[in-house]
Amino acid sequence: MAILTANGIKKSFGDTQVLRGIDLEVEKGEVISILGPSGGGKTTFLRCLNFLEQADSGTLTFLDETVELAKANKKQIRAIRMHTGFVFQNYNLFLNKTALENVTEGLITARKMKKEEAVKKAEAALLKVGLSDKADAYPNQLSGGQQQRVAIARALATDPAILYFDEPTSALDPELTKEVLAVMRDLAKEGMTMVVVTHEVGFARQISTKAVFMENGVVVEAGAAPEFFDAPKTERTKEFLRSMSSKDV
Amino acid sequence: MSERVIDILLESFPKILIPGLLRTIPLTVLAFAFGLVIAVIVAMIQYANIKVLKEVCRFYVWVIRGTPLLVQLFVIFYGLPGVGILIDPFPAAVLVFAVNEGAYASETIRAAMEAVPHGQMEAGLCVGMSWWQIMRRIVLPQAFRTAFPTLGNEMISMLKDTSLAANITVTEMFMTTQRINAKYYLPLALYLEVGFIYLMFSTILTRLQHYGEKKLAAYGKR
Ligand SMILES: Nc1ncnc2c1ncn2[C@@H]1O[C@H](COP(=O)(O)OP(=O)(O)OP(=O)(O)O)[C@@H](O)[C@H]1O
Ligand SMILES: [Mg+2]
Repeated sequence: MAILTANGIKKSFGDTQVLRGIDLEVEKGEVISILGPSGGGKTTFLRCLNFLEQADSGTLTFLDETVELAKANKKQIRAIRMHTGFVFQNYNLFLNKTALENVTEGLITARKMKKEEAVKKAEAALLKVGLSDKADAYPNQLSGGQQQRVAIARALATDPAILYFDEPTSALDPELTKEVLAVMRDLAKEGMTMVVVTHEVGFARQISTKAVFMENGVVVEAGAAPEFFDAPKTERTKEFLRSMSSKDV
Repeated sequence: MSERVIDILLESFPKILIPGLLRTIPLTVLAFAFGLVIAVIVAMIQYANIKVLKEVCRFYVWVIRGTPLLVQLFVIFYGLPGVGILIDPFPAAVLVFAVNEGAYASETIRAAMEAVPHGQMEAGLCVGMSWWQIMRRIVLPQAFRTAFPTLGNEMISMLKDTSLAANITVTEMFMTTQRINAKYYLPLALYLEVGFIYLMFSTILTRLQHYGEKKLAAYGKR
């Protein structure tokens, strides 16, 4: 069953149309990677799905509720956000909160969870990303990779139906990238539904069930992995994958 | 120094200090507290970009920062009775100093709020928090920490500026000194004495400010 169906999402910034009608269907347990050159609209697309950006048109069906993206009201937006998790390129941890508090914050304030219960959940989430020993550290005392793993724990602890990742490792050096990718790989194995924007083609190939190639605000090609990676149908995708994998090494 | 001068200084010290404790300090603390409330509200309106209100706030900051404090005191205390509004000296002073501080501190706080990386707001929204919750628990605490040293300096300036309240008949330290001087005519000694008491007060505030800065430095280095 589809958890999420996006239809005809369009978005312009001023005169530039950044998304020209994007469709995407995500089934439960799928891991979908979105690839494409810089400026193609990948980030904007993810942000529209979570209303960090308001799309100009298009619909979103999420957990059997359909909303018009341009007309969604506060209640609908909040309902969707309560069941999604978002992992940003630059972590965006709350700098005045410890790692543990970063995770409990949304549970206590937005979900009205009791403090002890929230702490238990947060501890479990931190354990999952391998950071139990850093629970009391502030973001400024953590490496980029650790910060990103706290951010993943923060998103996970809310039990999202879907997790969005926007280039979660592009601000990290290779060593730290590895630890974050390892966490994401575990999540994929456990059947977490994820949409991942990434430039790590090798990683995308390993974890994805489906892949999407996006350029200039349109989906050029979408298909099941690993076929998408091994035998792309369009010339443009082929070319892009080749250019990326030569960068990989 | 003659014995007479020393006697007068010793005798006048408590006479100046007491209005300091009863007028200058309460005026500073009350006006600063109200000023902070105004400042936070004004800063939030501007940060949230609320249409008409934002213009009103800009106008307020523009007028207050562009006119002398002394003129503001005179308008409120000597001017308003002309249209039937009479305010006692002390409350009038609290009002003017608070409104004044509100304008300056709102700019300090707004800048500090804008310095909080915006991504945290988005991250908060993504975990389902409301704008208010994020404001209260994430943005304001960080902004306050950034603004703290500047706010501390503003409070110390205000402490000294309260001497202007003498002009609207608030019997604070400076006015008291003027009165004592009228009796003994010892301007150098007496004005140095009141200056010394101001210095004591502002030194205490500076100490408190440093102590506060240390306390606030708790969450990780920056
Ligand atoms: N807030 C904004 N205002 C104006 N233009 C924007 C805004 N956000 C994005 N854009 C423009 O929209 C286009 C798509 O940007 P987007 O960030 O979605 O691309 P992307 O595929 O994520 O790129 P990258 O791989 O570099 O992250 C770009 O041309 C960008 O300049
Ligand atoms: Mg991007």
